Amino acid sequence: MSAIDDLTTELARLPGIGRKTAQRLTYHLLKQPADQSRRLAQALVTLVDTVRTCTRCFNLTEAPLCSICSDGRRDGTLVCVVEDAADIAAIERAGEFRGRYHVLGGRLSPLDGVGPDDLTIGALLARIPEDEVTEVILATNPSLEGEATALYIQRQLAPLGVRVTRIARGLPVGGDLEYADGVTIAQALQARRDM
Amino acid sequence: MPLVATDALVLHAFDYLETSRILRLATREFGVQSVLARGARRSSQRFGTALDLFAEGVAQLDLRPGRELQTLSGFEVLRVRPGLASDMGRFTAAAALSECVQRLVIEEHAPVAFDIIRLALDGLTEAAADRVVPLTVGALWELVGELGFAPALESCASCHEALPAGEGAPFSHAAGGALCARCATRAPGARRLPAAAVVALQEWVAGRRPGLVSDAEARAHQRLLREFLGEHLLDARGLQAYATWEQGRWS
Ligand SMILES: [Zn+2]
Ligand SMILES: [Zn+2]
Repeated sequence: MSAIDDLTTELARLPGIGRKTAQRLTYHLLKQPADQSRRLAQALVTLVDTVRTCTRCFNLTEAPLCSICSDGRRDGTLVCVVEDAADIAAIERAGEFRGRYHVLGGRLSPLDGVGPDDLTIGALLARIPEDEVTEVILATNPSLEGEATALYIQRQLAPLGVRVTRIARGLPVGGDLEYADGVTIAQALQARRDM
Repeated sequence: MPLVATDALVLHAFDYLETSRILRLATREFGVQSVLARGARRSSQRFGTALDLFAEGVAQLDLRPGRELQTLSGFEVLRVRPGLASDMGRFTAAAALSECVQRLVIEEHAPVAFDIIRLALDGLTEAAADRVVPLTVGALWELVGELGFAPALESCASCHEALPAGEGAPFSHAAGGALCARCATRAPGARRLPAAAVVALQEWVAGRRPGLVSDAEARAHQRLLREFLGEHLLDARGLQAYATWEQGRWS
């Protein structure tokens, strides 16, 4: 197999990239200045060689501890549990949360063969006494599997005497009630609060 | 190409690329279908925000013959089942049910099969712990019957002689059901089912859902069904959701 075929095959493995697009990208990389393509190759090598998971929270990082875990201003007694590292970025964008995180690495899914041992639940339980955690916010997705995962973790945490909370669900801000589906409206009504 | 609307429920859902999802749907009119819901993770306009596992509604499908992955052009969610996530027994049972349904060959127009699955999930949504196994195992036995593979229970699976009612009987997976005493001697591996187990199977295949007396009974029925499905209908080795449910370790 030629170098061109090799790269095309690798690019075509990426999500959203078909064989044709992969070919186009390959020829583009050949046409552009060689230095530019070398920089891309080097960036890829650096990425896979240096990015790992935080030893405490399993966020992505280049150091043993991620930037959030090593930030002394963050409240370590408050831990927000998310399914994936990408969820951290979403919560951080909101700028509201001052605690730390714990990345599960997925959610419980019997249909996909994902059980508690495939997630970082054991490490979360160990963190509670180690970091003197007082509250765990379960921010798994509001999907059936996310809810089941939250329930499972809540049961595991119960004997440890830590406060366990679940993020609320409801209508999207800036959304239009008219276009919200019935299920979302029903859940928003259930989670109503006094004013 | 034909755009069709059919009652459907989500048997399995996983994210695909940045914004889409691939779903396995049980449908009333077109059996079990794999569909791509483009943009389902981002936009809730076409699919509703609640297009989740075990959700039910009306699916608009762009069905093209011979395709493995069809296109979902819309889904009006009419019912979700959050109760299935509020108990690990229900959650793993619903997953086991879904897994078996996906492996059974359900093609084309299957309104009865669709209703069996739908009603089983409805029942599980609020099921007390001791009802989970009868509802799940019962639904799968009824489905097995609907597909034409019901085990012989009233008469011998081998010689077809009527079996005495209200008694236990030797049961052979290979023979396809209960056996008379004479045929049982020629069927190695046949296991004796107590009278109550034979009655429960008869009731379940007929669409009724009597309960079970003990946990031991429930476990025996989980195993019997798994063995029967493996012998006749599917490759039971890869049944991971069923194994999770049967082992009950998450509860
Ligand atoms: Zn960290
Ligand atoms: Zn016989």
